[in-house]
Amino acid sequence: MGRGRFPFWAYLVVATGAVLTVVPFLDMVMTSFKGPGESGTLPYHFLPKTFDLSNYQAAVRQLNLPVLFRNSVVATAVITGSVLLTSSLAGYALAKLRFPGRQFVFRLVLSTMMFPPFLFFIPHFLILVHWPLAGGNDLLGRGGAGLTVSIAALAVPFLVNGFGIFLTRQFMLGIPDEVLEAARIDGAGEFTVWWRIVVPQTRPLLVTLGLLTFVDAWNEYIWALLVSTANPDVMTLPVGIQLLQDHVDPARTMPIVMAGLVLSVLPVLALFLLLQKHYIRGVMLSGLK
Amino acid sequence: MVNTLAPKAPAPRPLGRRPASPAVEGRARHRRQSVVAYLFLTPALLFFAVFLILPLGFALLLSLSRWTGFDLGDIDPVGLDNFAALFADGATFLTPVLTNTLLFALGTVALALAGSVLVATCVDRLRFQGLWRTLYFLPIVTTVVAVGNVWKYMYEPGGLVNGVLNALGFGSVAFLADPDTALPSVIVVHAWASLGSAILILTAGLKSIPESYYEAAALDGAGPATVFRKITLPLLRPSLLFVCVTQFLTGLQSFALISVMTKGGPGDATAVAALEMYRRAFSYGDWGTASAAAFVLFAVVLAVTLAQLWLFRRKGEDA
Repeated sequence: MGRGRFPFWAYLVVATGAVLTVVPFLDMVMTSFKGPGESGTLPYHFLPKTFDLSNYQAAVRQLNLPVLFRNSVVATAVITGSVLLTSSLAGYALAKLRFPGRQFVFRLVLSTMMFPPFLFFIPHFLILVHWPLAGGNDLLGRGGAGLTVSIAALAVPFLVNGFGIFLTRQFMLGIPDEVLEAARIDGAGEFTVWWRIVVPQTRPLLVTLGLLTFVDAWNEYIWALLVSTANPDVMTLPVGIQLLQDHVDPARTMPIVMAGLVLSVLPVLALFLLLQKHYIRGVMLSGLK
Repeated sequence: MVNTLAPKAPAPRPLGRRPASPAVEGRARHRRQSVVAYLFLTPALLFFAVFLILPLGFALLLSLSRWTGFDLGDIDPVGLDNFAALFADGATFLTPVLTNTLLFALGTVALALAGSVLVATCVDRLRFQGLWRTLYFLPIVTTVVAVGNVWKYMYEPGGLVNGVLNALGFGSVAFLADPDTALPSVIVVHAWASLGSAILILTAGLKSIPESYYEAAALDGAGPATVFRKITLPLLRPSLLFVCVTQFLTGLQSFALISVMTKGGPGDATAVAALEMYRRAFSYGDWGTASAAAFVLFAVVLAVTLAQLWLFRRKGEDA
């Protein structure tokens, strides 16, 4: 009890902070139910007069929500799957296999984490636009729109994650060599050892890494905005909602935007609440959230 | 075949497959393992070649060139002209853009640090810590488009913040429309959104402080303020450094929130370096100066990070 001198003040501080954290979310939900002329007018009312669902119908119609959802789901699934696969493959090689150049490759992986993402927006976009033999481009990357014509453009720059490899490698170092050696003596090839022994033992970490990657990919905005500007067919949820609010009169559209936001935030919020222990462990490991 | 194994109990070697010399077998196995290792690493290495090393080289080339963006053969080297243009007289990059960037990072770090120290030391004394943590974490798993738009709406004349101000008898404030209040207003939102992870790191740091220290201090009759200053704060240093460095890093490079809330406006009041880079490239097709701006920001990020590590280390030796 040495720390517990002022629980009342402590409760007051923590509860006030929690209210300040939650109120914007409640305001989002409340606004999404407000009818025309109810939002953006004075005086401000927190609660809507009636719980009107028409904003949700309008959001589904005006935003073309099914297409946005599909694009978000495909991009997120591809990114998460690829990060998990490539991290566990490379992590295993770096943790448990001996080969010339291992130190060098490991340092390379570490150094990839040093470069901030903003350095890559411009070159990544130009590389995708000038991707040879894609989207009408010739061998030298001229003439067409390159990879930006495809939904792959949303996922490609995020398919491998240096931090994911590092994290997996650190975790796999803890798997005892004797187990792997025994499997090899039994005649198991390296691929079998990886898939049947190493991956199952790494599962808790892979759940954490997968969840972090999923949330990041689902919420990604800047890159998706760039790709959607080049090709509106691959627009994701955050981009679609942002563009709607940019183009239409905010006084009337805000409730519709909020309805769209509620729908887009729900899946990831549900996943977080369900698996929050894993997610929070991931934030502890990365710290860069 | 795998289900026959038991950890730490190697199965006996199959008699029929026993090779003549262990040394020869070892070398062959070694070679096989090298091949497999590089096979496993191929996806990652290919990716880093095409999406890390090539882009870095390309960005460097662009920062030293003028280019229309169409034909790769038309890249026209201009030396350091792009960097010079960023810092020329009358250019906006140094002021207000870089100044805004530093103010934005400094403001968010200060707010997030103060808020998270306060909340973390309080949460540490409460029950239901998991519940509080979940609540404080909601903004972190929410897309920046939601955070930005909800706050933008709350800052409007008919929004929640002004509604509360009016109810308390204050006049309305044009938070995002007024150049004087726009930057502080977005700083508050960014700090609000990053509070959860800072609290998490600091709570973990607090848990690692031995209970016996607090008991000894209580026996000596130390008040809560003394305990905080003499025990909590010094022993929390590594966690504080971590929060400080990571929040500064994200603060310096962040522009998604600003692009959602103000697009850098009004005027250049909330223009930050990464947003400026983005606009120069994708709105004006000015790839050269945009790439130069990216490298300047990268240098700033590195310098600020190293300076913090150096400061904390020096202070640590003094204590």
